[in-house]
Amino acid sequence: MNEVVEASRATALAAPAQGSFRLGRLGALVQRESVFSWLMLTPPVLFLLAFLGYPFFYGVYLSFFRREVAGPASFVGLGNFVTLSKDPIFWQSVGNTIKFTAVATLLKAAGGLGMALVMNQNFRMKALTRAMLLLPFIVPTVLSTVAWQWILDPGMGLFNRLLVVSGLATTGPSWLGTPTMAMVSIIMVNTWRGLPFFGISILAGLQTIPLELHESATIDGAGTWGRFRYVTLPSLLPVILIVTTFSIIFTFFDFQLVYVLTGGGPANSTHLMATYAYSLSMGAGQMGLGSAVALSMVPVLGLVLVLLTLYVRKD
Amino acid sequence: MAQPAQSKATRRAFLRLAAGVAGVAGAPWIARNVQAKPLSITFARESSYVKLFDEHFQKVMAPAYEKATGIKIEYQIQAAGGGAVPQLVSMVENKSGADLAWVQQEWLYRDALVDVSDIAEAVGKQQGGWYDEIKHLSIDNGKWKSVPHSNIGQCMVYRKDWFDEVGVKRFPETWDEFLEAGIKLKAKGHPYGMSMGHGFADNYSWLYPLLWSYGAMVMDKDGKKVALDTSETARAVDFVRKLYKEACIEDCVGWLDPANNKAFLTSQISCTNNAYSIMVSAKRDLPEMGKVIDHALNPKGPNGQRYHALVPVTHGVFAHSPDVAAAKDFLRWTMDPKQFRPWIASGDMYFAPYLHGFDKVPEWDIEPRVKPYQKVLETGKLTSWPAPANRAHGAVVNRWVVIDMFSKACTGAPTKTVIAEAVQQLKQIYG
Repeated sequence: MNEVVEASRATALAAPAQGSFRLGRLGALVQRESVFSWLMLTPPVLFLLAFLGYPFFYGVYLSFFRREVAGPASFVGLGNFVTLSKDPIFWQSVGNTIKFTAVATLLKAAGGLGMALVMNQNFRMKALTRAMLLLPFIVPTVLSTVAWQWILDPGMGLFNRLLVVSGLATTGPSWLGTPTMAMVSIIMVNTWRGLPFFGISILAGLQTIPLELHESATIDGAGTWGRFRYVTLPSLLPVILIVTTFSIIFTFFDFQLVYVLTGGGPANSTHLMATYAYSLSMGAGQMGLGSAVALSMVPVLGLVLVLLTLYVRKD
Repeated sequence: MAQPAQSKATRRAFLRLAAGVAGVAGAPWIARNVQAKPLSITFARESSYVKLFDEHFQKVMAPAYEKATGIKIEYQIQAAGGGAVPQLVSMVENKSGADLAWVQQEWLYRDALVDVSDIAEAVGKQQGGWYDEIKHLSIDNGKWKSVPHSNIGQCMVYRKDWFDEVGVKRFPETWDEFLEAGIKLKAKGHPYGMSMGHGFADNYSWLYPLLWSYGAMVMDKDGKKVALDTSETARAVDFVRKLYKEACIEDCVGWLDPANNKAFLTSQISCTNNAYSIMVSAKRDLPEMGKVIDHALNPKGPNGQRYHALVPVTHGVFAHSPDVAAAKDFLRWTMDPKQFRPWIASGDMYFAPYLHGFDKVPEWDIEPRVKPYQKVLETGKLTSWPAPANRAHGAVVNRWVVIDMFSKACTGAPTKTVIAEAVQQLKQIYG
């Protein structure tokens, strides 16, 4: 047995030498790890530069100019940011974005944890149920949001029909018609869509917790809550933190859902920074001002990324 | 079939280029490629709510043009309900995409459109002259930057049977009477549904006319001074708040464009302000409802005037088109009465031409209930009225400044506050 292993090792060690002999100097260069890794890295870096870097830096550039569609640009320095600082709708959209992100992320984290704990149990048709729970994440956002438009319709929508038919209310609420309910509705739809991301990620984390830890905790007298509090939760914390960070980023930049469901209305009560930036740039043609709104989102993203990096390094 | 004039400029350009190229390089394949007329012209247009209108273009007009000239017309249908504007903005910014288009909100990108005065003036002369108001949109610095096609009329769409039930046999003549009728209808479970959300046309088509009929306006005639902060505006805001509370369905304050159509067709509301697409859908899918829908002009306000907001359809040629002359030839061809009249008729007069030559055509009498949509042209104003329809006005419309002034009042904000916030935004936009 040992001879066989030794022989195969020898072949493996000899293979690169033969390969480099065949490929010549270029081949040898590629075989060097530093060169090979850069070769692998170059396509995604180029892709990111072209499709993320260019628009980003163009956006930064535009934010310092008064620039309207098809018009000339004039440098205004920080003028656009000064204008925004006096714009009540901008501040309203900042407030809305923070509220929307905070509440939706908390709900998704709590709900996702619950979903993962249930999915971690053994029951019939577990695989099918897990697959079904992924649906909100798989269906294109615009498509599912249009379906939500119907569900939330005050007269014919599923929610209000259920409320009326079950006798819980004579008429259901106006889900998208009042500022408070419209915010509740967009948070609800965002939570519905983002829950599987938390659920599946936390489930993966759950499955890495060694059974022995639970067994020894049980022997030490821990009940279900004790095991959850002192074994499951601490083991899951890294996963929850990473998933929450990503979710904050996704939610903070959400656009499609609000654009389709409310357009930022009524009376700007659901305008997020992303929808406001879009309405200024692509609707009102004020490219500079719109870019300034978009750029204002970057510090938040930066802060989240710094926190994430610090956490990963600490680990 | 009219034969369109050929693009001479392109041929001359080709001859010069081809001679040079042939002399220097002797590459005949280049000459072949440059000499060719454009193989196709792309015409971008918002999806029509009237299916037959689009079908007529695709099945009759486009093949006819291709047969006559050999140029294929690519009909690029864009999202409806204001969604087309970002696509047009994107085309202009990227200098690519369609050769010509329904240039929605052209005030945002007039500089990217070529002069089409020759076409517009000839069409006006031939077909009874243009309505004056539309000239304020299409003419910029003395040049026509677009050729007006038609207006998508917006007026009151209501359930005649329900109005009859509460004893309102004739549609209210004034906004006060409109409110009075609405209170009765809401008590019977048939509220109004007047759109006030971040939509595109169904919101401003009644809120701007209402504001004007209270004697208020957004900007002064020159577009230099904000004119909104007046007692007339305050009265209009107070009225809309009362109308919303006492006569409307709660939801309408957040409605996007399709919402009022849906609410009307599902019998949730008794009246809304819309194009006549609701009746088209009802006649097709809900024939019983189709019989009891009627249309009426907007009510008059305290100043005794009645107004309507125009929703213009204008066609323009992009300067970035590889063959501007060919695109203009095509546009000229579409406006020839031989093509234009059947095209308009195919849409059941959903699109009302801004040409006086169409005021009395028999097509308007096929469905008498559609007639008000022709009448709106008489009192129709651009939303910028009386100020110029310029870029700044585009920002006012797309940031829903006036719409939100009303909707904020409906959701509880004091009149003074909502007007002050609107004025602040107007000052920022108009600089």
